Order: sequence, then structure tokens, then C-alpha cells
Amino acid sequence: MLRPIRTLAAAAAAIALVSACNSASTGGTSAGGPGGGPGNTRGVSADSIKVGGIVSMTTASGYSKKDTDLGARARYLRANAEGGVNGRTIEYLGAEDDGQDPAKNMAAARKLVQQDKVFAVSPMSSVTFSGADFLEQEKVPTFGWGTLPSFCGPKYIYGFNGCLVPTPGGTLNQTWPEGIGRILGGAQGRSVAVIANDSDAGKFGIRTFQQGFTSAGFKVSYAKASVPGTAVPSDWSAYVKEILSSNDGKAPDAVVSVMQTPNNIGLFTALKRSGYKGLLSDPTDYDPGLLAQDATRQALDGIHVLLQFQPFESDDPKMVQFKADIKAAAGGKDVPLNMHMMTGYMSADLFVSIAQKAGKDLTVESFQAAAQNFSDTGTLVGDRALPKGQKDSFGCGALVQLKNGAYEVSVPFKCYEPIPFK
Amino acid sequence: MGDLLVFVLSGLVSGALYALLATGLVLSYSASGLFNFAHGATAYLCALTFYELHSGLGWPAVPAALLVVFVLAPALGWGLDRLMFRRLARVGETAQIVATIGLLVALPAAGLWAVELLADAGAPVKPAENQFGLPGVGPSPAKSWQLTEGVGVDSDQLITWVVTALVAVALWVLMRHTRIGLLLRAAVDNRSLTELRGISADRLSSVAWMIASALAGLAGVLATPLLGLSAHDFTLFLFVSATAAVIGRFASVPLAFAGGLGLGVLQNLVAGYASFAESVTGFRTAVPFLILFGGLLVLTRRARTAGVAAVDAPPVDHLAGAAWGRRWGVWAAGAGLLCVAFYTVTTPFWSGLLAQGLAVALVFMSFTVVTGLGAMVSLAQGTFVTGAALVAGLLMSRGWPFAAALAVGTCAAALLGALVALPALRLGGRSLALATLALAFLADQVLFQLRWLRNGDTGWSIPRPVIGPVDLSDDRALGVALVVLVALVAAGLSALRGSPSGRAMLAVRSAPAAAAASGVSVLRTKLLLFTLSAGLAGFGGVLYASYNTRITATDFTAMTGLVWLAVVVAAGVRRPQYAVVAGLVYAVAPRLLSDYVTESAHLPVILFGLAGLALANDPDGYCAAVPVRLARRRRARAAAGPGPSPSPGGTPPPASGARDSGVEPRDGGPGAEPAVPGRGGAGESPTGPALELRGVTAGYDGGLVLHGIDLVVRRGEILAVLGPNGAGKSTACRVAAGLLPADAGAVYVAGRDATGEGAVRRSRAGVVLAPEGRGIFPSLTIEENLALHLPEADARACVYERFPRLAERRGVSAGALSGGEQQMLALAPLLQRPPAVLIADEPSLGLAPRVAQEVYALLTELRNAGTALLLVEEKAAGILGVADTVAYLSQGRVSWCGPRDEVEADRLTEAYLGRGT
Repeated sequence: MLRPIRTLAAAAAAIALVSACNSASTGGTSAGGPGGGPGNTRGVSADSIKVGGIVSMTTASGYSKKDTDLGARARYLRANAEGGVNGRTIEYLGAEDDGQDPAKNMAAARKLVQQDKVFAVSPMSSVTFSGADFLEQEKVPTFGWGTLPSFCGPKYIYGFNGCLVPTPGGTLNQTWPEGIGRILGGAQGRSVAVIANDSDAGKFGIRTFQQGFTSAGFKVSYAKASVPGTAVPSDWSAYVKEILSSNDGKAPDAVVSVMQTPNNIGLFTALKRSGYKGLLSDPTDYDPGLLAQDATRQALDGIHVLLQFQPFESDDPKMVQFKADIKAAAGGKDVPLNMHMMTGYMSADLFVSIAQKAGKDLTVESFQAAAQNFSDTGTLVGDRALPKGQKDSFGCGALVQLKNGAYEVSVPFKCYEPIPFK
Repeated sequence: MGDLLVFVLSGLVSGALYALLATGLVLSYSASGLFNFAHGATAYLCALTFYELHSGLGWPAVPAALLVVFVLAPALGWGLDRLMFRRLARVGETAQIVATIGLLVALPAAGLWAVELLADAGAPVKPAENQFGLPGVGPSPAKSWQLTEGVGVDSDQLITWVVTALVAVALWVLMRHTRIGLLLRAAVDNRSLTELRGISADRLSSVAWMIASALAGLAGVLATPLLGLSAHDFTLFLFVSATAAVIGRFASVPLAFAGGLGLGVLQNLVAGYASFAESVTGFRTAVPFLILFGGLLVLTRRARTAGVAAVDAPPVDHLAGAAWGRRWGVWAAGAGLLCVAFYTVTTPFWSGLLAQGLAVALVFMSFTVVTGLGAMVSLAQGTFVTGAALVAGLLMSRGWPFAAALAVGTCAAALLGALVALPALRLGGRSLALATLALAFLADQVLFQLRWLRNGDTGWSIPRPVIGPVDLSDDRALGVALVVLVALVAAGLSALRGSPSGRAMLAVRSAPAAAAASGVSVLRTKLLLFTLSAGLAGFGGVLYASYNTRITATDFTAMTGLVWLAVVVAAGVRRPQYAVVAGLVYAVAPRLLSDYVTESAHLPVILFGLAGLALANDPDGYCAAVPVRLARRRRARAAAGPGPSPSPGGTPPPASGARDSGVEPRDGGPGAEPAVPGRGGAGESPTGPALELRGVTAGYDGGLVLHGIDLVVRRGEILAVLGPNGAGKSTACRVAAGLLPADAGAVYVAGRDATGEGAVRRSRAGVVLAPEGRGIFPSLTIEENLALHLPEADARACVYERFPRLAERRGVSAGALSGGEQQMLALAPLLQRPPAVLIADEPSLGLAPRVAQEVYALLTELRNAGTALLLVEEKAAGILGVADTVAYLSQGRVSWCGPRDEVEADRLTEAYLGRGT
């Protein structure tokens, strides 16, 4: 038994040696595929630009972002209808489904780059982004929803409305505290309770919003990451009781939830049942699809929802354009709008805008150079500026309130001055 | 006080759902002995169906719910039982666990796929994603009532309580007061004995699965407003309710039911009053899993601590003793080719994919250690991977070199493994699997939430190492390096298997008690295995993370570990090479499927789940199945080779060809014939033999036991089969009763060829086997034991008249009786209604001589009532007094057969000691 092992080891060592020489001699130039040359034109031909996407569509949790793909398609369709980007049409390959699985996310990134040879990945919207390092290393401009840290820092990765994960030393987006302050008629002397899931991410959220609300002038009477993160509690009485007596034995003026929809439904229903009359707000429940269920409509009635783009209810001409584009991409049907479409649409929009600016001679390098001092104003996500957007959020947002089964704008879309995050 | 009441009341809502799920778990476990990990997925599928019927097709809620609970869910249970569970009941525990894990992912995918297809076909279904606040059976939104200050209930809660209470009563009535309930409980007690009593355990299994599925369906419909349509949440819910099944020890429905209710309340109380733990991130989230883990430790029966039953016998190793080249040649060539391919044919994309497969293979080989060598099912391998990679990443961020970080990460994983193993190891099989699962969730929710360890959502960068001239950031170089590592680990594991420690491990695996008696410390061996496996998983994990160049705390979760296990076991866990195949398949198959077969993301998942079906046929995985099947075919060809040449002479009678090919003519042959006229008169010739074995060849996977025996029993005759240990007596009984199929030869019952019939049909034809030991159901009462055979009360009354001792204790469970009383209980109903044939395997075993005499007296009475008796005994003394005909069995052949009067002491000796002179 021993001798064969030795033989095996020797053979293996020999192979290793051979491959070592091989990789030493060839590795340097071919490692990044065509990434090494002076003008990286991967995916760019005389008349087209190849673009792919990565989106969580099928999942075990029942949460899907698949309409992101439709949004991106809508934007590219319009770009092509308008004559393409500097004469090149955008060949959008559609989005790979990563199923919220990190391994699949990575595989999708590799497939798009190595097999399909795309110039850029836009949109990338998922709960995981394990392909980020690979895309950065292969110099693939990537655009998506900046809720993950990979959108903050890397050179080739851009969030469509900036980087949404505050880093100490960076800034905090003040849309939410300022907006709620406006509804309440000023933040001074008002108290707010912030609640999140019992996880590291929840704790981090609590930390940022506690600082944000405090510096807007609120008194934060309750700030806990206490709701179990996996299964939705069947009973909210413990949390409700604690929140309602947190403001020196009285109820706070506002309750802010940093949780997902199922939790929000439970919490808000329980709060209302126990007679709470103050302001309720969360950042996730702006989805007209939610109104289809009576229970959700009732649970969320009166809630102010934070969003970081122009509300669908606005009559901004860009919004009219957005709706027309989506309808065209959906084959002329009126589909209910949601924020995933906006994610896809605006990711594509940022890519197209930068590519436009990069000019006729499109390479990864010229694209990156164009991105370096890119800025525009008045888009559906407010005023965009790079490279600031790779470190901070664009800082714009609005609040909408659900009233009698329809969303109404309660604080119009606006950009706020961010504050430093300590 | 008001708080407490609220916590208890609302805790009862989730408690009721736990109770329903746990009851279903216990029922299905009882029926087929497998823990159904997919039970939550069944509930999800029912919730999805209910939602589509109600919200999509617009049916009213109540009819939709009734259809789901009473028709669709039972049909699903029935179908799965027929396709899968029934066959899985006969394979090892690992294959069972894995098959249901496959279903766990396949069922939701199948449901979603069906919705997708229906939507494409234009049916008015609604998408299942992003749906919240779904209506249940009651009004939506739910009505709520304020009972007192701060205490309120809503209509959904009320419905859950009422329905659950009704189900509890209905189940109690079903189990205690109906015949089907009695049969179900009997099957729980002793599955093979129910078959011998002519009750089809398969059909019972179907019934149990149908009830279990209906309960899951009910839980699904009731939970829809709470859980929405998240398959993930349903599965988590199921894992929690497993605690209740543990409380019921997987056998008691009432205990599991009560346990479920209590669990819901306890969970609520802990969550409500756990403010002390606020500084521990994830503590409240982890409460259910803490309860599950604690429950397993406290409640798992001590008697089972010996650990793993060796249900899964290893497959025959066809290459045992073969030359190195034959054993390893294929694999070495494969590895060589792979290395060459990296630098010649594969595109960068495929190089990356293969490298990924090899990295996963390293992780997968840890299953070869813990499950293959140790027969322990660990669902926490994902935890070791994450732990090791996080530690390595943390160290590398502090400037440590890759190799040192790798070493420390590996050690950290091994340490974590040892910590996990210490409390969990005294549990066996399914409990160990659940305990490791609970720990994996605990690690996800508490340990990996530590900010200094996980570094937020960013995680740690793990750049690929550069070793001298080799820069592993080239996928090809990494691939070759991984081939080398994989080969080294595989060789190391094979060497370990052949070493003394490896033999100790195998000994502990197959017979812990015997291993302990030979001076092998069972606990230490298991601990070593677990630690080694965790370390290996960690080692692979760091390399996998370096393939990804980053690790975040959510990359490999508890659920990932579940899927991994399924992938590895589907390929085979006995050899490290199989793990490599599993790793490559895991990386490559999804891509191939989506490139060449289907765009749908659901179909590959469904296919993967169906691998469980394959496991039912080849429990050792597809890699092991290939050589086994090839060898079987070779053997069949070799056997068939000489066959055709003599056959042209004429069509031989069935079975003679195969029988004669390997076995020389029987010595017993001529001796057996005289047995026919043995007693003559009493038999009443027109009836002919009641039971006849003709040239029966039979055996087990390892080899033949019976080499063509002939035995004949007539009505009203006792045939005693004598022989030493290992002569094949019990095997003959099993073939006669239909428990074991004959490889060749024929079995006739009352002149009718019954060779192809199983135990149930034989039993219904009047052939009853009293197996070795006692043919009773120990946890049923005497009354219930009798009722199984004699459903009519007056027939039982006659038995009690005859056996007053049984009458006195009719409410006592049969397990509490003495050995003699138990044998009495087994024979009593037969006396009341004599069967055509009774086969008794060592009826006097373990009985005092006086009691044995009583038993023989009962057997004689049966003979006088016209029953044909085939008695097998090792000790000749007692039985010779009652037998009419005697047959000696030695080494699988009938060496002599004749009337009792002709039995001579010499022959007897000869039968036991062989025909030496």
C-alpha cells in the first residue's frame, strides 16, 4: 500500500513541477484573458456591445428580484431604439439566475466573462455577490443595487444609486430621518423607535439609523435588533409592549422598522391592534404588488415607506418615460411596477450614460476614465456623481404613504446633505 | 401575569403547527423507519397549492383547503410512498436521510415549476414569489378580538386552535379505537412480524404516509398567513418541530403532539423574556435550535447510545486483493488526463469550473471520513468550512502567509468539530444528524454573527497563494495543485482505512459493542473521526474560499451542508474517489444541464432531488453501483455461459439448470424421496403436501446458504428439521414463509406454486411463521395482540377461556410477559383458528424445559387439528418426542430425511458433526 502512494505522490509532484514551469512561463500574459492589452475591447464589436446580468430569480425564500431583468431590458431597448450607444447597439444577453446561492453567483459571473465575453454586467441584483472579486479582477464594469459591501470600494463596480452600505469614515444618507421629520413637523422633541432583526446586519442597521435619527434631532427611545432573524414570530406582543413604553413609559412618535415585509406586516398589525396611533415607517414595502392581498393592504395602511428613487406616483417626465419603456419591454402590456424594475432600469441607465460619455472608442479603459468624473442631475435616482457613488449613497429619496389601497407621495423626491458616519 | 397569558396563548399557535408537523413525522417514521426531512417541503407544497386554488383560480377558501388536506396531500403521500419511501425502508439510514433531503429541495422546485408551466399555458395562476399577507381559511384580513386588557386573539389563531384540537381527538380515536390504528401500531412495533401475520406493511406504510401528508397539508394551509410562501421558512419550521418528535421518541403520537404545543409556548416565553441575552447577537433567533439540541441531548434514549446500527452493510468489494493498477489505474489516469487537459483543451471557463469542482471535492472527502468510515451523518460540514475559512481570512488580513493561515484554519475547524462532537456523539444515527443540524444553525445564527470574526457582510479576502514560481491565481495552476492535493488526501484516506486505526474505525462502525469488547474505545474513535473530518472540511474550505478569493459568513450555511451531503451520498461515501466525482459533478452538472438540456432553474433541482429514487435502488451511490453492476453482469454472463450448451437437449424443468450448474448432485436426494410416504394414513392423500420445498437454493448477498433442499410437510404432520448452527435452518424457514426469495427451486403451498409470493400472500394462503424469538408485538397489550389475529370478540373470549393466565392480564403490554407466556400468546390465537401450515423457528429457544414441554404440547394439539407443522430446532432432545418425520440439515443440504422411528443416534451425530467417516 505504501509504495503505490509514494508512486502517486511522485507522479503528482512531477505534474506539479511541469505545471509550475508552464504557469510561470505563460501565466502572466493569459491570466486575465484579453484583459492585459492596452485597449481591452472584450465584448465590443464595430456595431455592438455585449452586456449580461445576474439576478436572483428563483429562490427558496419566496423573495425574487426577477423583474430587474425586465427593467434593464426596457432601458436597453430604448437605447437601441435611439440609435445605440455611439452607434453601437447593446446586445443584452439577459440575466443569469443565481438563485441567491453564492456558488451560483460566482459561476454566473465567470460564465458571463469567460464564456459569453461580455463587456459589462448590468444589472447585478442579488442578496449575495461572491462574483465581485472575480469581476473586479477581470476588469468588468458592473452595475447593480448597492446594498452589498462589494459596491463600495472596488473600481469596476457601481451601485445604481451609489453605495448603500455606510462605512465608518464615509457618510450617512439622511433621507429617512429628514423625511419623517418633515411629516411630523420637525424632529425636535420627537421620539422614534428603531427595530431590526437579531443578526449582525440588523445590529449594523440599528447603529447607522440611531446615529442618523439622533443627528436629525430625534430622540431615539428604542433601538434594538431583537426580532428573530429566520422565522417570522407568530406573536409580537413582547416587542410591542416594549416599544410602546420605551418613551419614558409612553409611546414614541414614530416606529421605524428595518426589516423585511413579513416581519413588518406582523409588527405593524400588532402595533395597530394595541392602539398605537403614531407614525409607522419602513424601507421595503414600496411594492404595488403588495396591495393585491387584503391582509397586506390593511396591515400596511397608513405606513410611510422610504424609497431611494423617484416614486412611480410622480409625474416627472423621466417617470413617464420609464413607464412607457417598461410597457414596451413587456410587450405592450401594463405590468404592475415595482422597485426591482427600477433597479434594473437605472443600473442599465448608469451604464449607458457612462458608455455614451466614453465616446466612440469604447474600451474598458476609456469607460473607466469616463466614469471617473461622471456626473449628471435630475435622474430618477437624483443627482449622480462618480467616483463619490462608489463610496457613498447619492443621498436622495422620498417617502410615500399607503392610504386606502394606494400609495401617495408624502415627502417628494429630493437629495439631502449626508452626514459623516462615525 | 397578563404577559404570561399572552405568551402562552400565542405560543400555542405555533405550538399547534409544530404539533401537526411532529405528529406527521412520528407517523411516517413509524411506518417506514425514516425521518422525513422533506415533511416541511410537503407542507409548503400544500400551502402553494392552496394559494393557487384560492387566490389564483378563485376557489372559496374552505373547499380549496378541504381538497388540499383530504385529497391532494394524501395523494402526494401515497405517491411518494409508492415511488420511494417504501423501498427506502429497506436501505441504510444514511441513504434514507439523503433521499428525503433530496425531496426537501425537489418538492418546492416541482411546485414552482408547475406554477411556471401552468402560467405559460395560460392558466390563471398567480406568481408564487414576493407574496405576503396571504389569506388562510378564515377571513382575510383576520378579525381580532380583545379578550382583556392586552390579551387578544384573531380569527387565524382561533381557527388553528380549534382545528388542531379536532385533529388531536380524531387521531386519538383512529389510533386507539380502529383496526387500522391497531395495525399501524403493530407495524411500528415489529414491521416484519406484521407481514408474517398476513398484514401488508407496505399498505400500512401507504396509509401512514397518507395521514402524515394530510397533516403536513393541514399545517401548510393553516400556516399560510404566518409563513407565506417561503419553502425555506417551512423547512426551518419543520426542523424545530423535530424537537417535538424527539419528545415523542419518534414513536408516541400523543407525546409528540403535546411536545409540539409545549415547544411553541416555551419558545415564546424564552423569546419574550430573553432580554438578558440581548448582548449576544442572534440568541433569540437561535432559541428554537437551542431547544432542539438540548432536547436531543436530554431525551434521546440511553439504550440507543451504542450509536449506529450497522443497517447498511458494505457492498461487496470486487477489487479486494486486486493489484494496485486495477484498483487505482482508472483514477490515476483520470487525474493525469485532467492535469493535461488544464493546459491543452479546456477553456478558461471550464478550467475554473473544474478547479471549483476539485476544491469542493476536498470538502466532500470529509464526508468519506465521517459518513463513509464512521457511519455518522454530519449536517454541520458547512459550518466547519465557514469557520476555517473565516479564521484563515482573519489571519491573512493580519498579514499571515497563506500556508500558516490554512493550517490554523484547519485546526480551528477540527477544534470546532471536536466541540460539536463531544455532546453529540452519544447520540446515534438520526439523532446525531439532527443534533449536528441544530449546531450548524446555531453556528450560523450566533457564532458567525460575531463581528470580529465575520467582518460584516464584506467578509475576508483570501487571495490565492503564490508558491515559488507557481502563481495559483491562474485557474489552471490552481487546478493542477488541487489535483495533487486531492490525490494526496485520497491516498492518505485509503492508507488510513487500511491502517490499524482505520480497522478500529470500521469495527466501531459495524459493531460498536464488539469493538469496545476488543479494547477499541468507541467514543475516542468516533471523536477522532469527527475531528479529522471537520479538519478536512476546514482544509478544503480554506482552499475553496481561496478559489473564490473571499469568504463571507453566509457563503456556506447549514442548508448548504445539507445539500452537500446529498450530493456526496448520491455518488457514494465509501471511497474518497467517489467524493471527487461528486465534487466535479456538483460543479459541472448544473452548467451542462443549463447549456444542453433546459433553461429552467427548477428542473435541475428536481432531477437532483430524484437522485433519492436512485438511492433506493443503489444505496451506496452511483459510483459504487457501476462496478457492482458490471461485476454482477460479468458473473451473470459467466453463469449463463455453460448454461445454453446443455439446454438444446430439451427444455429442462424450471430451476434445474441453475441449480445443477454450481452444485454437485445432492447426497440427500435419494434419502429425501422416502419421506413422501412417511406417515401415510393421517395425511389423507387427496390433499397432497401442504407445503413443499423443491430443490430450493437461497442465500444472502454474500453467498449461498441453501444448496438445493427438498422438504415436504403434510396436513396433520410434524416435520422436525434438525441441524447444527449455521446449517441453514432459519434460512429454510424464511424461504418457506416467503421472507427470503429462493434463487432457484420452487415452493408449493397446497400443491400450488407459490415461489414468487411474498410473506403477506403466503400468510394469507395459510402459511404462518413463528419467527425465532417471540412472535408477539411487545408494546401492544395482550388483548391487542390477540385482536390482530382474531378480530371477533367471541373468538378472543374462547382463547381467554382456554388460557386464564392471559385473561387475567389482558390489559398488560405483551412485552411484560415471561418468555413462556409470550410463546403461549403467540400460539394461542393459532389454536383458536389453526392455520394450514405453521413454520416455527426454534419455538423452545430460551424456555425452561418444563415450559418447552408445554409449548410442544400446544404444537401437538395444532397437528391434531390438521395443521402441517415445520419445526426447526437445534436441540434434538425435546422435539424428537413429537415429530413424525425428521430431516437433518447440514451445510445447506438435507443429509438425511425419514420417519422418526428410523432416526438413529449415529445419524444424529453424523448430522451434527458431518459425515467424516
